[in-house]
Amino acid sequence: MTALFVIEQFAKRFGARELLNIPKLEFERGVSYVLTGDNGAGKTTLLKALAGLEPANFGAIRYQGREVGGDVLGELRRDVVYVHQHPYLFDTSIAANIAYGLKLRGIAATQIRQRVEAAIEWGKLGEVRDTPPQRLSGGEMQRVALARAWVLQAPVMLFDEPTANLDHASRDRVIELIEQAVSENNCVVVACHDHEIINLPHVRRLHLDQGKIRPQ
Amino acid sequence: MTDNTIWDAVSAAFSLLVSGDAELWRTIFISLRVTIIALLIATPFAIWTGYVLATGRFRGRRTLIVLLQSMLSFPTVVVGLILYLLFTRRGPLGAFHLLFTQDAMIIGQAWIAFPVLAAFTLAAVQGADLRIRETALSLGANRWQAALTLLSEVRFGVTASVLNGFGRVISEVGCAMMVGGNIAGVTRNIPTAIALETSKGEFAQGIALGAVLLFLALGMNILLSTLQGRGGGK
Repeated sequence: MTALFVIEQFAKRFGARELLNIPKLEFERGVSYVLTGDNGAGKTTLLKALAGLEPANFGAIRYQGREVGGDVLGELRRDVVYVHQHPYLFDTSIAANIAYGLKLRGIAATQIRQRVEAAIEWGKLGEVRDTPPQRLSGGEMQRVALARAWVLQAPVMLFDEPTANLDHASRDRVIELIEQAVSENNCVVVACHDHEIINLPHVRRLHLDQGKIRPQ
Repeated sequence: MTDNTIWDAVSAAFSLLVSGDAELWRTIFISLRVTIIALLIATPFAIWTGYVLATGRFRGRRTLIVLLQSMLSFPTVVVGLILYLLFTRRGPLGAFHLLFTQDAMIIGQAWIAFPVLAAFTLAAVQGADLRIRETALSLGANRWQAALTLLSEVRFGVTASVLNGFGRVISEVGCAMMVGGNIAGVTRNIPTAIALETSKGEFAQGIALGAVLLFLALGMNILLSTLQGRGGGK
């Protein structure tokens, strides 16, 4: 079976500093991955590279067997959702933030409304739904961003430290997502320091150290 | 001019405005028409230029930014001179008979507004949060949709650029005088009319027109500060 992502001879540099150097790495469907590593180890760079947001200096990433770029880049960005460690919420309503990706996919307005309501319910955002996004707390912003990603039901979800600001109930939602990925043949990659997530059964752990994948 | 003369001129100006003096209102109409059309032409190109210069990574980008910023201090009378030479009957564009028409004024004002609009948009986009574009792209936006999202997020800066462009061109006299020719009822706008009326000693007309300009400037500033207030200090 073709791996979802194949990274080969991938290098990313910023000036003289090497952010990432991966000779070969594969990500498969139906598997959840946890990326660990110190700050600056390259976790965010790797997630952004997978999301098509960080072009390589050398090497390539293949998505579903095709090299990322041109049309494949567009396809990848529709399939892959990346959630920042400190998410950005657009300066509109919470519902409009959640509806953003659905509108881009040309989904009918009535269906968008239903799915947004379901996402608000899922993220337990009912109480804050009328609050301007910029006035939300860090945890609430994180929940909106997770709901905005969840509503897309994307085959690949990439989360950068998703539980850093979350309460226990919200963290359970993230864990659910990670576990669902396995049962629904999707792929979730989570960069985190959260031991509860790192020690989940069925997740594949990858450790980054100074831009290189190290054995655990 | 004594205090009395100023006061007389101000009260005469007020009377002129409320009496609906046809020539005065025609001049105001020409000013607004020329400025608004010039902005409608310049704004899309300028916003696109500002966006591309802010987000693009291509050779010569820095040079273009320096050139754009230099254009901000380009004297409007020189813009007028260049257009005059292009539009004059023997000039390269003389066949279009544009000299001393509102079309020539519109072209001149669009040229003058362009660097203001583009430079302000550039600054607004450069100052935008990097995550805006990344978030849009990672939620499935293509490059154009991401650009629209980013511009929408910095809409207060973009609006400020349009209002500043408006302020720059509505009060500009050098280019309008040179390529418009200050023809009454045709190409006479507020600034050229003020210059003419003052030179003739018709202070009331000049002050009335000056008051309209000030009123427009005040209106724009109120609009700008209201919009910025709504932006929540972003």
